[in-house]
Amino acid sequence: MKNICALIALEWGRLLKRPSVRLIFFLTVCSPAFGLFLYCPATADTMLSKYLANPALAGGAIGGILFGLLTIRERGREKRCGVNTLIDGIIPPSSMAFIRTAALFLTAFPVLLGTMAFWLPVSRFLIGSVFDIRDFLLSYVLFMGSAIFLAVLASASAFQIGGRADLALALFGIFAGLSLTLWSENWQLCWLNPCVWALSDDFSNLRIFRSAAYMRLTWAAGLAGLWLLSCPAVRRRRRIPFLSKIPSQAGTGFSVRRQVLRPAAALILFLISACAWAGQPFVDHSNPDQSISAFDQIPLEQGLTCSRRLVRLSPDTKRGTVTGTAVYQFQNTSGKPRTAAFGINPGYTIFSARVNGVPVPASVRDYQEFNEALLEVTLPGDSQMELTLEYGGFPREDQSLSTMQGSAEISGEYLYLANADLAPRLINAEPDSGVLPVTVEITLPEHMTVIPFGSPQAEIISQNPGGTLTWQYEDEGTGGILYAGDYIRQDIEAAGITVEFYYGRNHETVMEEAGAANAIRAVIQYCTDHYGPLSFLSGNTLKLIQSRVSGGGYAGGGASLLDEADFTIASLRDTSKGSVPGEVMIHELVHQWWGLSSMFEADGAWSAEGLTVYTTYRIVKELYGAEYAERRYVDQWKREMEDYYSNFYVRNPEFFQRLPEAKRLEITNRLSRVRQYCEMPLKILKAEQLAGGETAMDQILSRLFCREPSWEEPYLTYEMFLNACGLTEEDINLE
Amino acid sequence: MSKIFRYECRRLMWNRFFFGILLILLFFGYQVLNRITILGAARTAPFSPWSLGDYACRMLPLLWAAALFFLNFFLSPAARRAAALTAFTPVSLRHYETIRLGAALTAVGVLTVLCLGEAALFCAGYFHQNPGWDLLRPALITLVPALVFALGSGWQLGQICPSAIFAWMAVPILFRLLPLPAPFSLWSGQFFSEYPLTLETLDPSLTLPGPVLLLQMLLLAAGILLLSLSYIRDRLNSSALTGGL
Amino acid sequence: MEILMKHVSLTYPGGRQALKDISLTLRSPGLIGLLGPNGAGKSTLMKLLTASLLPSSGTILADGQPLEVCERRLKSCLGCLPQEFGLFDELTVCQFLDYMAALKGLSGQKDAVGKAISAVRLEEKAKSRISSLSGGQRQRVGIAQALLGESSFLIFDEPTAGLDPEERAQFRNQFSRLAKDRLVLLSTHIIEDIQAVCSQLVVLCRGQILFWGTPEELIRTVSPGNLSEDAVPTGKASADTVPRGNSPLEDAYLTLISREGGR
Repeated sequence: MKNICALIALEWGRLLKRPSVRLIFFLTVCSPAFGLFLYCPATADTMLSKYLANPALAGGAIGGILFGLLTIRERGREKRCGVNTLIDGIIPPSSMAFIRTAALFLTAFPVLLGTMAFWLPVSRFLIGSVFDIRDFLLSYVLFMGSAIFLAVLASASAFQIGGRADLALALFGIFAGLSLTLWSENWQLCWLNPCVWALSDDFSNLRIFRSAAYMRLTWAAGLAGLWLLSCPAVRRRRRIPFLSKIPSQAGTGFSVRRQVLRPAAALILFLISACAWAGQPFVDHSNPDQSISAFDQIPLEQGLTCSRRLVRLSPDTKRGTVTGTAVYQFQNTSGKPRTAAFGINPGYTIFSARVNGVPVPASVRDYQEFNEALLEVTLPGDSQMELTLEYGGFPREDQSLSTMQGSAEISGEYLYLANADLAPRLINAEPDSGVLPVTVEITLPEHMTVIPFGSPQAEIISQNPGGTLTWQYEDEGTGGILYAGDYIRQDIEAAGITVEFYYGRNHETVMEEAGAANAIRAVIQYCTDHYGPLSFLSGNTLKLIQSRVSGGGYAGGGASLLDEADFTIASLRDTSKGSVPGEVMIHELVHQWWGLSSMFEADGAWSAEGLTVYTTYRIVKELYGAEYAERRYVDQWKREMEDYYSNFYVRNPEFFQRLPEAKRLEITNRLSRVRQYCEMPLKILKAEQLAGGETAMDQILSRLFCREPSWEEPYLTYEMFLNACGLTEEDINLE
Repeated sequence: MSKIFRYECRRLMWNRFFFGILLILLFFGYQVLNRITILGAARTAPFSPWSLGDYACRMLPLLWAAALFFLNFFLSPAARRAAALTAFTPVSLRHYETIRLGAALTAVGVLTVLCLGEAALFCAGYFHQNPGWDLLRPALITLVPALVFALGSGWQLGQICPSAIFAWMAVPILFRLLPLPAPFSLWSGQFFSEYPLTLETLDPSLTLPGPVLLLQMLLLAAGILLLSLSYIRDRLNSSALTGGL
Repeated sequence: MEILMKHVSLTYPGGRQALKDISLTLRSPGLIGLLGPNGAGKSTLMKLLTASLLPSSGTILADGQPLEVCERRLKSCLGCLPQEFGLFDELTVCQFLDYMAALKGLSGQKDAVGKAISAVRLEEKAKSRISSLSGGQRQRVGIAQALLGESSFLIFDEPTAGLDPEERAQFRNQFSRLAKDRLVLLSTHIIEDIQAVCSQLVVLCRGQILFWGTPEELIRTVSPGNLSEDAVPTGKASADTVPRGNSPLEDAYLTLISREGGR
């Protein structure tokens, strides 16, 4: 062992003297610069995405490629100059391969340290007040350092397999090239450049770091197995074309044990890698076809109702897991056993299911959709039942967001739990009294503020030893969304509404400088003046919550979610948008008027988005001017629609049918979004022109907004809209 | 000489490296066809000359690298050691070089044909279309000038510094990353996916703007010139020697 | 075949003068040995004779014509084995020799290849890949390619390196047979090879010819016993300090070189 360490040190010393190694050292230290200008895979507008993630990812990609080339060059050089012939007589080839690879690993260490030392002050300067040293260290170690190690393993394996430098170069080149190009949209395949689309400025990033670390380790196991398997060794001579033929050398320390151990170790590593790949805990296996909603088709159980539920949650903020207990009060009038169906996060396990203290069968099906798995619990025929489910685990994110991971963050700085992540969502039992009341209790570190999404208000019910607080709130429904973090609350009065504006403490200065409060006031005033006051608020209160970067936002009864990316220093400095930050913010606020799920019946292009996008355009027009709004919205819609109608598969559906199903799904999902976000606003705009202008349209929309939903017509349909405008579908078809 | 040519082709193409790079090319080609070409370039069909031209553009960096690898075969230290024997034969150096370059061109040609064959199979398999001339035209325009230039420039560069060939392999990749003016759009990989959108007609037939075509012709001419540079130099040396005596 | 070198000098671009004023006549038939310490200029001389290098001054005539003019004709009747060479590992022995025969423009290549393989006794390995051959077998392939065709001028630089004593003896005899009707130039460090078969001997040192004649003349002219205080500068090489060889020719050679080293 000592000998091996000494030889590694010797080889390392030799490598450090090589001019090419010093050149690689220099180039690798400089490589993060490419992430500032040329290679920017993290697309979010947060400061950490632009000035930390992108440089680290660029450093990983370029550093990995450079070290891969270095490995192949060094191995090829040793072979070319014939020194291998001398060394093989002293040290077994397999040991020497290990020594060389270890020396290259050792070379990567000072390179990484040097890079981090150089870029630490630069990053600090660029990122500003939201810089976090932990994020910096994790980014460079996981995104850059591990890429270099994987690249050394991959290139060494390529050389050992191919036996020649040119073939190794081609193999490694394609392996790296695929990761950077065609595989970059598959979070498990992109071994060199992990899928990191955003890092949060205000909140933690532990989930995305965990995901990157997990895939790094998965690839490390696989590549280490490959390296072991391809390791040069004394082998029997075989008459197989194109394989190395090294004559067997009896009596040179060759042993049966070594012959068996290495392949066995390689096999174990491959198995570990394969199991880790298949069993990854981050992303679920939801049905990619988002037009199918099988869980909604599950019929209600006859005679089964639920009167109340209680949820107690204990998130482990260090491990990012959730443990919870959900209690459901069931009434069964049928007298027969019933099966209660729940939607549960696919990452959760049911630890126990008891009815009135007696264990009952519970199973989770394999089929998943919309980030839920189906849990079925067999309830006995008792008339009154209390079902207690103990569950927990590491929540998984929807696979459609596999390249945008990070939203299901659970840490000491941020927590987000929604619907089936919070507790098993009851699917097939009606509420006893029309609504299903729920009491939620959650225990979190004392610096975190709990914010239920919607009208409920959380209160502290106990202070616990260990610095935690237990919060409680009352809500209704089978789902529910919960946020928690180190938030500041600012109350804003606008148009008779009290807006509770929650934002991260790190962002306090930025929000004040940006005048966020004024922006919010402006939007609420516009919508109230044009369409009418919001009628479903609890005590005329609207919650506005700044979330961890998520790529957008959404709205529910009495609450709107705003993406932190809209309020970063970078986006606020973008004066091309005028003085009001974040059109996404406007869009999400407008959803309070247009777009709550109970309001719209989606049908093709008709959905909540159409009116919301149109209204956002109108607000932007008023705030920034007609020319800006026209350029930024109408022209954009027209371009997208032109693209849509010109799409080959839209024009030639017969060829579309010949595509594989996965491809058909991908295209369909993309096109439906265009129809909802671009086609419908254009049609509404045309309707506005036909109906007599903006004022006329405002009146129409106001009437629609203020209408009383009836039993026969609970939702706002496309037909209703057309009727209100006095138009037919053909009238507003686009040319 | 034909025997030498056959032997050089055999040396280049009957070995692990050639089959390895062929597999890599076919695998990469499959990924491109299945993920990108299948969606159609610039709103055209996946089997249109634009989509297949886009495919050829994406395969170019790999074919370029393969061409330079074949040159390295003749410029490597092992090849230089073997040249210690071949230098004493009466064969004309320029003929010998021509044969070797011809063999390299043939090897690259075989790889190119197989990649195009894969694309043809893709079109036939999914869409029951035989692309034929729709595949050959953009491929010829995109690949032939570039690969001839690769061989010519690589050969001359390799005479000066054999290791520089490896750096030269990165040229097409750099071109795809850097912002280039319009005539270079074929090299930046944007031509086939963006130019048809400017034609204001759906499913336009393949046309090349003048600057792009001119650049490709210039590249082809430059490649041929570089390939014949040794011949020209040799002729000049011969006349100098004869003139001197 | 007659090769005439008149006052030939060669200085490399770095300034090092490899050969100084060499004048030499090589006529066939004959087996001429070329001796000299490392760096004496033997390989440079051979490169000049094969037109791989042009002299900085002087002329080299082959059958009366300047070498630059008749280079191609010379190479068509030249068989050469340099000291360092490589082979095409991916080809078999037969294929490689066939390739070389094609480069030499030989007609009846198959016969020529067969003869060459037989001459070096590689019949068993004819279909084997060159990459599978041992060092000595590779050397024999090198010799075989030099023997391809009926070359009238053969140059061998350390041809017997890597061969066992039996093979060396066999090749010495072969060179001797070849020299009966062609010009063979043999450069080697192995005095035995020279002594056994060479009719003439050229000793080079520091780019200059120290001796040109028969081996017997060398022994007569230069031997430790013939050294006097006048002939050898005081304090430099003397009869007691000259290394001893295994044979008189070797002694004479070593004495000659030592004397030159003492100047």
